[in-house]
Amino acid sequence: MNTSNTEFEPKHHSIAGNILFFIRHYKRYEPAVLWICAGEILLGSLLPLFYIYLPKITIDLAAEKTAPGRLLFLLGGFTLLLMLLEGLKSGLGSGKYNLYNTQRTNLVGMLFLKSLRIKYEYTESGPVKKMYMKACRSVDSGDWSASSRMVSESVSLLINILSFLLYSTVIGYLSPGMLLTLLLLSALNYLISMGRIRFEESLREEDATAQKHYQCIYSSMGNMKGAKDIRIFGMQHWLLQLRDHVLGELRSLEERRQRKNAFYEWIGILLSAVRDLGAYAYLLYRASCGTISSGEFVLYFGAVTGFSGFMSGIMGALASLRGAANSTDYIRAYLDLPEEDLTSGNTHIDTRRPPLEIEFRDVCFSYKESEGAEGDTAPCTKEIFRDLNLKIRQGEKIALVGINGAGKTTLVKLLCGIYDPDQGQILINGIDRRKFPKTEYYRLFSVVFQEQLILPFTVGENLAMDRMDQVNEEKAWEALDKAGLKQTFLEKGIGIRSYMTKVMMEDGVELSGGQQQRFLLARALYKDAPVLVLDEPTAALDPLAEREVYQHYNQYSQGKTALFISHRLASTRFSDRILLLENGRIAESGTHRELMQAGGSYAKMYEIQSSYYTGGDPDGIQFDR
Amino acid sequence: MESNLTDKLPLKEHLQNVKKILRFIREMDRNCFRIMCLVQAVQVSIPYIELLLSAYILDAVSARKGFREMMTVTLLSMTGILVLRFLASAMSHHLEVRRAHMSNLYSCIVQTRMLNMDFSRIDSPEVKKLKDRIRTDNNWGAGINSVFWTGNAILYDVFEIAGAAILGAPVAVYLIRSGSLTAWLVLAFLLAVSVFSLQMQTHFRRQADAYRYSDYKDAADKEERFCFSWEFAFADSFNYKNSKDIRLYESNRLMERWTNEVLSHKGFRSLLLKGAWGDAGDSFFSGISRNAILGASYLTAALIALAEGITVGSVVRFAGCISRLLTSAKGLADNLSYFALAARRQLSTLELIGLEDEMYKGKLPVEKRSDNAYQIEFRNVSFRYPGTEQYALKNFSMKLKIGEKLAIVGMNGSGKTTMIKLLCRLYDPQQGEILLNGVDIRKFRQDEYSKLFSVVFQDYTLFPFRLAENVAVDQRCDRELVQRSLENAGFGDRLSCLEQGIDTFLYKDYDDSGLEISGGEAQKIAIARAVYKDAPFILLDEPTATLDPLAEYDIYTNFDGIVGEKTAIYISHRLSSCRFCEKIAVFHEGSLVQLGTHEELLADTEGKYCEMWNAQAQYYKDTGIVIEGI
Repeated sequence: MNTSNTEFEPKHHSIAGNILFFIRHYKRYEPAVLWICAGEILLGSLLPLFYIYLPKITIDLAAEKTAPGRLLFLLGGFTLLLMLLEGLKSGLGSGKYNLYNTQRTNLVGMLFLKSLRIKYEYTESGPVKKMYMKACRSVDSGDWSASSRMVSESVSLLINILSFLLYSTVIGYLSPGMLLTLLLLSALNYLISMGRIRFEESLREEDATAQKHYQCIYSSMGNMKGAKDIRIFGMQHWLLQLRDHVLGELRSLEERRQRKNAFYEWIGILLSAVRDLGAYAYLLYRASCGTISSGEFVLYFGAVTGFSGFMSGIMGALASLRGAANSTDYIRAYLDLPEEDLTSGNTHIDTRRPPLEIEFRDVCFSYKESEGAEGDTAPCTKEIFRDLNLKIRQGEKIALVGINGAGKTTLVKLLCGIYDPDQGQILINGIDRRKFPKTEYYRLFSVVFQEQLILPFTVGENLAMDRMDQVNEEKAWEALDKAGLKQTFLEKGIGIRSYMTKVMMEDGVELSGGQQQRFLLARALYKDAPVLVLDEPTAALDPLAEREVYQHYNQYSQGKTALFISHRLASTRFSDRILLLENGRIAESGTHRELMQAGGSYAKMYEIQSSYYTGGDPDGIQFDR
Repeated sequence: MESNLTDKLPLKEHLQNVKKILRFIREMDRNCFRIMCLVQAVQVSIPYIELLLSAYILDAVSARKGFREMMTVTLLSMTGILVLRFLASAMSHHLEVRRAHMSNLYSCIVQTRMLNMDFSRIDSPEVKKLKDRIRTDNNWGAGINSVFWTGNAILYDVFEIAGAAILGAPVAVYLIRSGSLTAWLVLAFLLAVSVFSLQMQTHFRRQADAYRYSDYKDAADKEERFCFSWEFAFADSFNYKNSKDIRLYESNRLMERWTNEVLSHKGFRSLLLKGAWGDAGDSFFSGISRNAILGASYLTAALIALAEGITVGSVVRFAGCISRLLTSAKGLADNLSYFALAARRQLSTLELIGLEDEMYKGKLPVEKRSDNAYQIEFRNVSFRYPGTEQYALKNFSMKLKIGEKLAIVGMNGSGKTTMIKLLCRLYDPQQGEILLNGVDIRKFRQDEYSKLFSVVFQDYTLFPFRLAENVAVDQRCDRELVQRSLENAGFGDRLSCLEQGIDTFLYKDYDDSGLEISGGEAQKIAIARAVYKDAPFILLDEPTATLDPLAEYDIYTNFDGIVGEKTAIYISHRLSSCRFCEKIAVFHEGSLVQLGTHEELLADTEGKYCEMWNAQAQYYKDTGIVIEGI
């Protein structure tokens, strides 16, 4: 689990490189977008030229006092042409919107699906999580999303560059000196724009922090789970204080941004005033000498003022593309992460011939980061196991106990292949598990983890964890029956095709905490793998329901190798052997009776718990921590 | 007020909507509207000065005026334009700051409202529905920003129309006087194109909206088109860390079916393309009519020039005025409808924040007693949660004695937590009453009444801010007391190894240096928060479910010390906690079925308590292992 911070800084690509990335993306998923863009660019760069010729033609025709019929014919025809071109250009421009906008959903889906295929250790690593969130966020801001901006701004960039060149030709035709002056002014404008872009980028971090603070107070205030606490403890005042603080932070940032932007804008205004004045002076001089007509005067002046419009268009597009390209780096980096190797390995296992024997041989494992697995790790501890040795015989029922942070859940994750040991081996029927393909290995385990994942899909899909057309309904009912849910479901009219949770369907099935745990058990039973692992399956159950699970446990685990993790030491009574995890080792191993006689940690833990029920005085027990 | 955004609405209602939202904006920022007007007026004036200038120059050139004279006029006009530009720039940047602030304030206004809404309301079907509506209403818009932007555009259009009407007035005179048939024909043509385009635009826009605001026809339609990519990427409930289940159960195919595969389903695809054609058609005709206006303006001006013999400068001036007038008129029509839509989108938000409180708000102050002699009585209380049929508590009566340590036990769903919620007045019972020292609790001021209770709920919440603030729930706090409370709650050891002590941030959401805490530690902080509050009643709602035996033991033994002389209620379905308390109340199906000491209850071998006790205790009896049913 080596995940240092620098390893996951995304590789930086140039703007052009990222535009190419998206061209490839669109070519694959929505090729029409590329054709539309090409048409739009062609029309978009020609149209401005038509626009500055409109007043020129009008003035020329009016000045030569042409016949109304001819005027109508020429100007009317020109107008019809303009109508058609503009209509086509606008139509293409808006027509592509839905097509590229949907790619945001496609991309976020690609990222999500990728998150299920990358090496598992990445999913728990802070930097990779951050990268994932940044990549997802980069397509989560509507039209401002990277995938959308890359399209719209690339089009705008090209249109502006081409128009810029066309206008240059027009002006160069009039006066090369003027073109040179304008280019010089544009260069100045470029420098100013770069300053502005850089300033904007320098605010990015501060901006992100302020936005993060805003998100934080936003979700704290809207936190439905916390609504009870907010009211009982009268937190409204405090949260409003925090909100106003964050709003103030955002406001002062915005003030600074706008002040600086105004400054840049003023320089731009000054420059364009100089340009206009120069253009007027030159054109007026030429006109007063009689070397250009009124029509030409209007044409050239339009070209001069339009010219700088393209320049700022180019700069705007570039600035926006820089931002989008930056976000694209995160998308690309995440999609390029190495995936879990699911297929290599040439040894196969006959799953129809359970039970299996499992052995941990000198297994070492540690979390390289402070934020390890959720729930089961003390944040200060990094090393979880050193030279862990453990053998589970065929068909044996094991109870795994230990205090919070002893590594029980970590052991489960190591066992079922989610984690790989740093050192040592895990053997199945005496064969190193690395020799099996991962997919096949995963099939050996039915696990109920502590976190309860109920997907907003149908009951059948939730049980089989596969598409509805792959669900075996008979098997599904059988699993529900074993987990003690069939009766409840039948009574409430819930079927295999009923949707779960209210997310998808308004009348979706909602289960209580206890029912959820049973449902997850049913999922494990549906899979019917040779090894059954239950991680705290009774935490949310009341005493009677808990007893029921215990009573059925033997039935669930019949013919399987089974591992039962629980704080409730009662669960140890129906296991063949108890393993006590302490300080990264198996500290005690044996039957309940043996361990009680040994008088170690297990015996002490048991006495504390049982004293409540057997009449002893819990305070009287000396406990050595 | 169940209505779709695409439904038609009478003008009167539109006007009312707009009035509502404008009043709301005024409440957030009083001067905003005035500044908007000023900015737009200045901005509109600039192109008109430029237009007049070029008209003057063209006339001056053809009148063969001197270079010096022309330059003087140009220079003067340019100076004026420069000043106006500076002014407009400064003002609009200032306006931008106000807009951003308003937008930030508005974006969290629902959340802010949630802080003070009746608790019984926040989860109600009514509010949920409103929230759903807010979500769909804001799906394709920029919230209050849309109102702001379209409002600005409308002002601009209005000023521009005014300017064009003033400067272009002579056109009308010329048109009538000259009676040029061709000019009238051109205008008739323009009118025809505009009307036709408008109709086509409406048609296509409806087609585009059908995609944008489409609802699902039925369940099958939803199955075909509902895509979960966003939910999976962003919702906490099925995030990322669940990927271990998905791997182990090989459910990639299932996840693909509900995410990217949907994008290629026929139903989704055809609607999307229809929408795209709708957008394209709308814009095509918009472009057509835009340029019809432009061309016709020049054509008309030129025709007038031919008929009336006006100057070249006037042609430019009139063409500019006509096209600006017509373009703005068209823009105004569009923008008014956008504005109406933008305002309509905010209605759900306004409706939510304007919801009146339902619960009776008492005025009586709660008497402060240093002896904490508060007595609580539930009298024939019945309650069911909003939107449910079943009673969570039924005809429930009970007295809480001062200084008593009471344990409440019962099965899942027996009404334990409901009783706590009623006690704290998060809900009011439908029948019966709850009395504090003989007075109905509804008569007390809610804020003062809440001060009586320190509660640690099963699903307590800590916030991603400073540790001290979390304990004191205020930015200002008694630092020593915070320290002591944390120590009392058993967080002392961890606290002593924190570099920033009680100023440490919790979690990394707000600050990157924040502390990630385990479930057990979070619980201790939640308990410290209850301790700091120092209320006469302490209520613990099953705090030990996720703890290991040792931690559970710690909490049990510390409990007495934490509670002191206060009245305490301890909820659990772990019966082991009961032996700790003087009295045990057994809940079953919304009623109090047994009340007494552990020994008394256990003596009743037919009772619920005995049944539950035996279910757990059988595993701890050393008489060998007897499990029924194997």
